[in-house]
Amino acid sequence: MYLDPRWFAVMLGSAAAFSALSPLVYARRFNFFAASLPHAALLAAALGYVAAAFLGGSPAAWAVLLSLPPSLLLVLLLHKGVSEDSATSAFVAFTTSAGVAAVYYVLTSFPARVSLWSYILGDPLLAGWEDAALAVAVAALSIAASLLLLQKEVSIGLDSDFSSLSGIRVKLHDYALAALLTLVSVSLLRAVGFVVEHVALLLPAAISSRLARNTREFLALSVLPSLAAALLGLLLAVQLNLAPAAAYGFVLLAAYLISLLGGGGA
Amino acid sequence: MAFAYAGGEYVLEGENLEVEGAGLVTVLGPNGAGKTTFFKLILGLLKPLRGRVYLNGEDVTGDPARAGVHASFVPQLSAVRKDLPATGVEVVEWALRGYSGDERRRRALEILRSVGAEGFAGKRLSSMSGGQLQRVLIARALARDTPILVLDEPFSGVDPRGREELVELLSKLAESRMVLVSTHDPVLTLKRSRLVVVFNRGIRAVGTPDEVYELEMLRKAYGPGVLVIEKCLHVIG
Repeated sequence: MYLDPRWFAVMLGSAAAFSALSPLVYARRFNFFAASLPHAALLAAALGYVAAAFLGGSPAAWAVLLSLPPSLLLVLLLHKGVSEDSATSAFVAFTTSAGVAAVYYVLTSFPARVSLWSYILGDPLLAGWEDAALAVAVAALSIAASLLLLQKEVSIGLDSDFSSLSGIRVKLHDYALAALLTLVSVSLLRAVGFVVEHVALLLPAAISSRLARNTREFLALSVLPSLAAALLGLLLAVQLNLAPAAAYGFVLLAAYLISLLGGGGA
Repeated sequence: MAFAYAGGEYVLEGENLEVEGAGLVTVLGPNGAGKTTFFKLILGLLKPLRGRVYLNGEDVTGDPARAGVHASFVPQLSAVRKDLPATGVEVVEWALRGYSGDERRRRALEILRSVGAEGFAGKRLSSMSGGQLQRVLIARALARDTPILVLDEPFSGVDPRGREELVELLSKLAESRMVLVSTHDPVLTLKRSRLVVVFNRGIRAVGTPDEVYELEMLRKAYGPGVLVIEKCLHVIG
């Protein structure tokens, strides 16, 4: 069985990046946002190709740039009093419609240059050294951000009024978290894929919130099972000729089901 | 000060209230009277349609960070998420400013001990009883070291014995700071209060317990459900 170190770097890097952010998503009840984010990431990836084709530059850099305004607009709508359900519905309606239009345009106009399948299914086995380096760098950024923000995000999640009185700028944290999640999702979309991104962002904290005894464990028990799932998923995928992102998703789901049996937390 | 939610009826319609000095102040009114909204206005968490809020002479209207310098807050238990894996010690540590490392942990434990919460402070919030969680939240508020402490319905979700103990604790805390407590139960803090504010969609009466614990005064907040039976005052509903 051939195992390329770049596959490990991409899979483990992506798993670490998403699972480090997962406790922040859980703490702030940003699940609605995380669940709708892959739609925005797919749109951004497709638009990134279009922008790079016409204006030059890197498709990935364009994708990151173009993904931020819709996400920040969603947070703004929430702050303006629009209900979470309504704002998310509008956000998903826009990003999915525009995403399909953009993907269709890219596939019909640049068929020889672009494969968007990896953005939908995720394909770490096609990763080059550049992708591997990106995954590791994004993972380092996510872990650093989580270490920096977790205490405050849990504090806001527990009780936002007390946090405001303590001088924490809750609205600013909303924007920062939305921007961080968007950047990481868009950056790693190709490795993990549109479909499994939902799982990678949401499940790790669902596992750790049940098992953790304190906030430090909340982060550790989110990242470690996710890394183990990525490793096992990759090995299973290579051995059984499965999609690696899907194998990772299934292993993570199995870990969650096991946590339901064992955990007594939330 | 005046306040109403968009499309809703007024919770305050131009009332004025000034309270000074240490002691227990009870804001008394039935459920749905707007007591939580009143506290949020005082704490700058909501902005009034008209009027200003001053704490220790500083204008804190609609500015919770500024209000938080003077006042700390204990929300209703139902307003605190318990599914997050945070312990009592952690939440108190996070509220402390100017401490770090072991010193911060030591100070947090000291505060928790002062409210009788040291025995369960290491547990997750979700594993605590209502009374235990309330003590941890009081400790968290005390960690801010402010001269004013505001508690919203601190007795809700706490068993009868726990309530008695909480009243004792709040009375002790009120010796050195102003403690504002909202409650729908007119009996709990009555004997310990320096001042009672009768509140129901506005300030209906303000006075000492003796002045306020009268049939007509209580009817202003609770309506005709206040009855005198055999020289006893009963509040129903």
